[in-house]
Amino acid sequence: MLDFFTIFSKGGLVLWCFQGVRGPAAATAPVNALIRSVLLQERGGNNSFNHEALTLKYKLDNQFELVFVVGFQKILTLTYVDKLIDDVHKEFRDKYRNEFQQKGTLGILNGTFDFKDDFMRLLRDAEESSRVRAPTVMKTFEQSLKSQKTVKCMLETRGEKPKEKVKNKKNKGSKKEGAETVAAPGKASVGEKQLSAAGEKEELTKDEILQKNREEFFRRHMRAGEKSSKSPKPEAQKEKGKKPRVWDLGNSNAKVLDYSNSATNGSTEACPVEEFDPDLGLGDRNREPGRLYDLEYESNDEAEEEKFIQNPTKPSAKKGGLGGMFGMLKGLVGSKSLTREDMEPILEKMKDHLIAKNVAAEIAIQLCESVAKKLEGKVMGTFTTVTSTVKQALQEALVQILQPQRRVDVLRDVMDAQRHRRPYVVTFCGVNGVGKSTNLAKISFWLIENGFSVLIAACDTFRAGAVEQLRTHTRRLNTLHPPESHGGRTMVQLYEKGYGKDAAGIAMEAISYARNQGFDVVLVDTAGRMQDNAPLMTALAKLIAVNAPDLVLFVGEALVGNEAVDQLVKFNKALADHSMAQTPRLIDGIVLTKFDTIDDKVGAAISMTYITSKPIVFVGTGQTYCDLRSLNAKAVVAALMKA
Amino acid sequence: MAGRLEPHLEALRRELRASDPAVLSVLLALLAVAITFLIWRFIQSRRSSRKAVLLLGLCDAGKTLLFARLLTGRYRDTQTSITDSSAVYRARNDKSANVTLIDLPGHESLRLQFLERFKAAARAIVFVVDSVAFQREVKDVAEFLYQVLVDSTVLKNAPALLIACNKQDVTMAKSAKLIQQQLEKELNTLRVTRSAAPTSLDGSATGGSAQLGRKGKDFDFSQLPMKVEFVECSARGSKGEEGDADFEDLEKWLAKIA
Repeated sequence: MLDFFTIFSKGGLVLWCFQGVRGPAAATAPVNALIRSVLLQERGGNNSFNHEALTLKYKLDNQFELVFVVGFQKILTLTYVDKLIDDVHKEFRDKYRNEFQQKGTLGILNGTFDFKDDFMRLLRDAEESSRVRAPTVMKTFEQSLKSQKTVKCMLETRGEKPKEKVKNKKNKGSKKEGAETVAAPGKASVGEKQLSAAGEKEELTKDEILQKNREEFFRRHMRAGEKSSKSPKPEAQKEKGKKPRVWDLGNSNAKVLDYSNSATNGSTEACPVEEFDPDLGLGDRNREPGRLYDLEYESNDEAEEEKFIQNPTKPSAKKGGLGGMFGMLKGLVGSKSLTREDMEPILEKMKDHLIAKNVAAEIAIQLCESVAKKLEGKVMGTFTTVTSTVKQALQEALVQILQPQRRVDVLRDVMDAQRHRRPYVVTFCGVNGVGKSTNLAKISFWLIENGFSVLIAACDTFRAGAVEQLRTHTRRLNTLHPPESHGGRTMVQLYEKGYGKDAAGIAMEAISYARNQGFDVVLVDTAGRMQDNAPLMTALAKLIAVNAPDLVLFVGEALVGNEAVDQLVKFNKALADHSMAQTPRLIDGIVLTKFDTIDDKVGAAISMTYITSKPIVFVGTGQTYCDLRSLNAKAVVAALMKA
Repeated sequence: MAGRLEPHLEALRRELRASDPAVLSVLLALLAVAITFLIWRFIQSRRSSRKAVLLLGLCDAGKTLLFARLLTGRYRDTQTSITDSSAVYRARNDKSANVTLIDLPGHESLRLQFLERFKAAARAIVFVVDSVAFQREVKDVAEFLYQVLVDSTVLKNAPALLIACNKQDVTMAKSAKLIQQQLEKELNTLRVTRSAAPTSLDGSATGGSAQLGRKGKDFDFSQLPMKVEFVECSARGSKGEEGDADFEDLEKWLAKIA
């Protein structure tokens, strides 16, 4: 049932491969996809991965640097796969332990790994173990809890209807019981007794119901009788002349029913001065008049939580006393392999540290999970502690995430587009107030400095002053780079059509205008929108799908915390859903703004690149035109790991 | 001569006896420390002598297969590498000098990290290029090559550089000459765009402050401080998996620098 099973080293050499249903070389592409999307992007938390029609499950051996991958069809649900992988792992490792330990890489290169017979045996065992399980026998009615309940506890004394339902149920139940009692005569007497008791109860309740009804009826009749005694009088009077209808609520007349203030609405009487209780109105008597007080927050809850957390950890620390000391010594010298329990406390601390540095919570958890998977079973060298190993691995993982997966060179791509005589279109999208227009101006300044002419398309037709803002920027940039110093051509121009128009249409017109006039770059500014505003997201997706820009940049501020995950996921989803193409245009890059407002809480960079796996193209560090930087992965990670 | 030494030795002996034993012991300890320090330094310099040949390149260029072929001569199936692999390689002509071949992963998120780790020990760099997909990937190849070339450690040590145009067994493969021309053109453009990129967050320039080649003139591989050569090879070999690989030029070059 398996498609393939491969065992390969982390250095890339395939040690052994089993081709099941498909032919050879069907394993390479899916496994490469697995490596690229899961292992290299630190998503190693859960160990299964879907690629086209296959599901891939994998296991890492960190001691000998091996990877075990099994692939099978997605529609099948094979229950024995996990156990199979574990068994194969153990056998393979034990069988070829010598090659790995003594000969190292050459051992892997030269060794022949004849594992087929063992594998077939393990596969057969696994398949049999999943098949051999007695079919589950259904519980009989007597064994279930329902038969042990009495009727009384199932009754609700709210009204007649539930009782009726219960009665019907009981009837059905009794029918069933009748059938069962035929089969089990031993229990028949009990069952019958129950039936009879239930039946009696029901009859009693029926009587009760009838009685209650009668009582109520009489009661009503009494009242009715009184009323009827009243009624002839008004009837007699009715014959005389029309009388106002008297309702049951008593002899109230219009005056009493009039609740409107007689004094207000045009009357000359002054409103009665209400009694103003100064204590209620002003609140705290002790406040100084005119002073604005700070927000008082309650720090009691946090202190309590910390105490609770500390208490359970204390006893475990005490237990670890003597054993911990020897373990520490043992860990310093010689080869100790890492286990989950060793890494657990350190990973917890690292996770909290990351969250304190503004990394989104779920991403911090996934990252720590992936690092744990990568380190489990690894043999530490001499004089390395568990803490240092974990920190090192986490640092490498973070640098890996921040490295761009594709080439980030905007100038090179603009030059390419210049050669093909078409403008290079960049679209900026993001939520409200992150700095799209400001960073658009900065990027156009940078492009002008490098000799490219820019057309700014004002597709923010909603926010008041958006077009004027861009016009001011255009004027300033033209002052800084007048046409005379660039051979007579205007380096930056604004294309706008006012407010209220369709953004996608303006973008399309701007691009064709740029092509006609020979502009090198078109920067499209869109309106800020919240990620759960469906009509606005549809409009943005339409703009991007129709105009097919070369670069779609998502502008996000560095101050954002867990929101970053939600924003990016929903933006990408909207772009994917509303695109007609086979491969929809998603976000191509991220602009991280307001970086100067955070000192070293740089976690937002990690959250954003982890979610999209797209690079951070620019970083905005201020509001002047020169405050545009590119990301330095090592510096960011150093700031992140700093205590 | 012995006469001249004798009175000196006598004087030394008298002084030693006269002086305080504590001072003596301190002097002896300092001497021992100095000797240990010198020995340690000597061993370090021996260890850090650059004996490694790095196999670099983009993903799917064929580095791991080349690595396996060079060491064992046999064909092996390969997957995308996640970590480095290293082994000692003995040149064919029995010169008894051996180098350590190190195969580094080519994936974008890993390549710079591993380069950082091994660049100091590099005596030579073999940059493997996929000749079939070169036309499509020329910008990515040039970018990685640029990053390798402007690295400060690489510029300082100037290891010999060989650009191996792999996958020549496929008919559509580009020749080494064509690849050289295209790379020179691309690197010429790159040094302009990379130096114009926005500066990095901590102030250091992204592409390194080094200028590749000579200003004012078009970029040429001869302008680099290290020796650069281009060879064609095929790790898979023209006869497929059973036959040998076609890389005599590569082996000759390796023997030369070993």
